[in-house]
Amino acid sequence: MPLRLRKFLDELLEVLREDYPKQLTRLIQDANGLTYLQVLDKERAVITVRNRTITITGRAKKKEINVRVYISKECLFDVLEGKLTLAEAFETGELKVFGSPQTLLRCYAIWERVISLARTSPRFYFLTYELR
Amino acid sequence: MEDVSWADAFSLPSIFDPRLSLYKEWHDFVFFDRDSQVFGLLNFAVHGNPYDGRRGYGAALAFLVGPGEKIHTALKLIPLSELTVSAYNPDFIGDEVAVRYLGDNSFTITGKIDDISLDLKIPVMLPPVTMNQIGLDILARNQINLGMLGAAAEMARVWDKWVELPRLSVVGEIRAQGADYHVDTKTGYQDHEGGRFDWGSVEGWDTGVLLCDPTSAGEPEKVSFLFYRYGPSGESSYGGIIVKTAGGGERFFGSEKVTITKSGEFTGERAYLPGVTRLLYPDYRPKVPATIVFSAADSSDSLEITFTPRAVCTIVVAGVSDEAETTFNEMCCGASLKASIGGKAYYKLIPCWFESVRPRHR
Repeated sequence: MPLRLRKFLDELLEVLREDYPKQLTRLIQDANGLTYLQVLDKERAVITVRNRTITITGRAKKKEINVRVYISKECLFDVLEGKLTLAEAFETGELKVFGSPQTLLRCYAIWERVISLARTSPRFYFLTYELR
Repeated sequence: MEDVSWADAFSLPSIFDPRLSLYKEWHDFVFFDRDSQVFGLLNFAVHGNPYDGRRGYGAALAFLVGPGEKIHTALKLIPLSELTVSAYNPDFIGDEVAVRYLGDNSFTITGKIDDISLDLKIPVMLPPVTMNQIGLDILARNQINLGMLGAAAEMARVWDKWVELPRLSVVGEIRAQGADYHVDTKTGYQDHEGGRFDWGSVEGWDTGVLLCDPTSAGEPEKVSFLFYRYGPSGESSYGGIIVKTAGGGERFFGSEKVTITKSGEFTGERAYLPGVTRLLYPDYRPKVPATIVFSAADSSDSLEITFTPRAVCTIVVAGVSDEAETTFNEMCCGASLKASIGGKAYYKLIPCWFESVRPRHR
């Protein structure tokens, strides 16, 4: 049975806390103020970053959400495995992103750093594949 | 031949080693079948602390090039809980893919790396050669210079182990993303390296092997090369080309005798590993020359090799303790060899594996 999205995000946060505490502090600083809705297939998770803490919940007030990302698992793994570029995923509509350009750029930079860290972390890699 | 089992075994570090997290070691199997026109590079590696499943892992990588330069790649990480390696033999046994060294001096590679299936039998045709043997041989037969010492010191700093099996036979079946390939060749090669270092401390190298068939007229027994970069900015380099003649002779052309010229830009098929490289750096396309020429002359012997890459797989590896990244350009090449060694002329187009490694930003 694949890992559920919220459980994945909780465990990912735990890996970052244990293995990359300095990088996590910087990620939290950069993400302060974000309320991020992630939809993966039919699962939803809201990541809220406020005052040096990250919370992961199932819902948030509509007005508070400033980024919305919709992606299927198939598309996510195709992008992670280099079979599909982000541009191609946007073009086909398999990836949909809503938010102000400034906020989206912040999110992109944050994910870029998280993915970069993942390349040296077997825990991160195997955890991600539990989602599949 | 009896040495293969220990020479090619994994040199696992002590559990008390302070650089355990930087440990890395791998088998590289390379082959080219001239009939089926299939090139293969198969890498089986252990990275990180091999005693801690949270910090260490295995990895299996395949870079295959079929007829028409069709590239297939796969990279699969293996949890340590599902991997067996030891200091007693070259085995690398995972749940889905396994390298086994058998009592009849042959390897088998069986199983799957993602969507590439392998069923290969790989008899070892020649005994192993170690980095120390090659280094001592070069030092004994040639005038020692600062470049030679600089590169040797750097290699000794980085590598705990560097062994090659100069000739392998490779027979079997490969199914790669829907395409079936039969391989039956006597021009296989393996090297096995290991060390405890982070990528940020390595300036890289250019190495490779012409996959010679000494039974074919006009081909030597073996041609291999290694140019190792060293020094604070990586601008110093030393290395050379070793030609083994069919009659058992050996000729070394050191850097001081070799001219390297590069021209054009490779525009053929490329692949990138791991897959997230394309996500992180969508526009990253390291420059690969369309041709690389090694020219060397020393007394009455001369050599010219023109490498023409046919397919390239760029592998980007990330440092553990800093943000350094290192790029491996693995190339399946045609190598046009023109040489005169000891009065014998060699003139042939020979398939070749060429690996060029450098920091990603250089």
